[in-house]
Amino acid sequence: MSGPILETRGVTKAFGGLVAVDNVDVGIEAGRVTAVIGPNGAGKTTLFNLITGVYPVSSGEIRFDGVPLDNMPTHKRAALGIARTFQNVLLFGNMTVLENVMSGQHPRSRYGFLEAALRLPKSRREEETITLNAIKYLNLVGLGLYAQRDALSLPLGQQKLLAIARALATEPKLLLLDEPGAGLNRLEKQELGDLIRRIREMGITTVLVEHDMDLVMGIAEWVIVLDSGRKIAEGTASQVQRDKRVIAAYLGEEVE
Amino acid sequence: MLSRVRGKWSYLAIAALLLFLIIIPFKWFLGQYTVILIFIGIHTMVTVGLCLLMGYTGQISLGQAAFYGLGAYFSAVLTKTHGFNPWLAMLVAALATGGFAYAIGFPIFRLRGNYLALATLGLGIIMAVLFRELDQFTGGPTGITGIPYLSIGGFTFDSPFRRYFLVWFFCLAVLLVSQNIVRSRTGRALRAVHGSESAAESVGINVAQFKVKVFVLSAVYASLAGSLYAHHITYVNPSPFGFLFSVMVVVMAVVGGLASVWGAIFGAATVRILSDEILLRFGEWDVIVYGLILVLVMVFMPRGLFVALKEAYERWRLTHRQRGAEA
Ligand SMILES: Nc1ncnc2c1ncn2[C@@H]1O[C@H](COP(=O)(O)OP(=O)(O)O)[C@@H](O)[C@H]1O
Ligand SMILES: [Mg+2]
Repeated sequence: MSGPILETRGVTKAFGGLVAVDNVDVGIEAGRVTAVIGPNGAGKTTLFNLITGVYPVSSGEIRFDGVPLDNMPTHKRAALGIARTFQNVLLFGNMTVLENVMSGQHPRSRYGFLEAALRLPKSRREEETITLNAIKYLNLVGLGLYAQRDALSLPLGQQKLLAIARALATEPKLLLLDEPGAGLNRLEKQELGDLIRRIREMGITTVLVEHDMDLVMGIAEWVIVLDSGRKIAEGTASQVQRDKRVIAAYLGEEVE
Repeated sequence: MLSRVRGKWSYLAIAALLLFLIIIPFKWFLGQYTVILIFIGIHTMVTVGLCLLMGYTGQISLGQAAFYGLGAYFSAVLTKTHGFNPWLAMLVAALATGGFAYAIGFPIFRLRGNYLALATLGLGIIMAVLFRELDQFTGGPTGITGIPYLSIGGFTFDSPFRRYFLVWFFCLAVLLVSQNIVRSRTGRALRAVHGSESAAESVGINVAQFKVKVFVLSAVYASLAGSLYAHHITYVNPSPFGFLFSVMVVVMAVVGGLASVWGAIFGAATVRILSDEILLRFGEWDVIVYGLILVLVMVFMPRGLFVALKEAYERWRLTHRQRGAEA
């Protein structure tokens, strides 16, 4: 292990009176697959939103690759190497499958309005690279055949894979997946597990929010448990499953 | 493969359009329409800008008349009062109008939806008042007369026949540039902003900056169109640069198809011909008729007249073929 690629120290986020994330310290080891679990409303998505800069933190500090993120806007964090998917998918509905992934290449290409307007050689060269890379990521998630379809014409399971391909196309160091398995059937979940293993082999650090404990056991080397905004436990999957506080937090909640 | 064949057809279509545009102003063809086609070209330029802003990026503007008017007045004042070369004036007008759009862009695009619509509406109204009230610069309600024609070397664009080519040269250049932008990394970024701002930011797209940039581009297009207008009819007064024109541009963009670059020509042509031939009879009520057209097109042809006609043709061809097969 090469140490944490992402560290939060005392990170807190309050929405008015509601403290959604409460004084959370986590260290995400580089190269590992880490799962964040916890009941609904525990603050998992909010934690992702803080890491990606959707909201400023109320207090605390986040460091990525040794760099304090402070008030850096989301798009700059993406350029630094933080990519994510959304719980509600959020594909670009006005584009094809391939164009969605090509959009992901935005921070890895440079040409702008002027080069585009005049179709200068630089724009054509970059466009070719963007297309080839997008096809590569599309094939990686197994959607190569659907490149020219409208993104929203895909069934949910494939839309979620497409969202992962779009995030991978930003060529991240850290990939945050918000409930990638929700709404998938057993077979799709198995394929998702395989995909996450392949992403790990590419050297990308992955953090996922996931409710399915079988999936978590199968792929996550480290599990962080949130409840009511607080980190109540962390460890290997089998360690946290035996933890009394974790069991208490899930009482009344279904543990799969 | 399919796209290559389609590409060939679209080149053919463009070549046909070009040929058509070239022969129109000759007396033996459609010479009597030269003047209205000059206006259609000018309006198309403003409309394309709004299509990029509204159709591709999803940001409304009800104030495009402000930039159109700025272009016209800058050209008028710089050439008439300060003796600038008209081409230089046109360039300065475009840069100044673009700079103005950039300056107001960041505060304006903190707003969304209805608030953005209101802010741009306000912008249009304020500029219309300024054109009227800043007498010492703009000549007030009577405006500025005697604006020189554009010329290249010894060749002066002093007849509608000549200005027709000038205007459509600019118009086609603007359309081509817009098409290139739409089919590029930048175009994808604009559509991403429209699709989901959160997702766009998450893939590294600076949403605020792209909104402002496309706003500036639309302002520059409108300014160029305004300058061409000023050098076409050689006088400016406040009335063509008011709220009605901003509404007309929205209607043109919607009729042509918001997310279509070339559709802008159809939108501009349809609305302009309609307003010249029919809407005049409604007098002061014309703005209501524009509203009605807007609603009807949005409800029945959400992707614009051009696409609606194309789809109707394809349906017709399909049934036609089926009948042929049955017989
Ligand atoms: N933008 C917001 N404004 C107000 N409250 C929010 C906002 N986002 C999340 N919350 C609240 O914060 C808490 C944590 O939400 P969230 O992070 O989405 O939970 P999880 O993803 O773990 O289910 C919930 O009570 C939720 O209602
Ligand atoms: Mg959540």
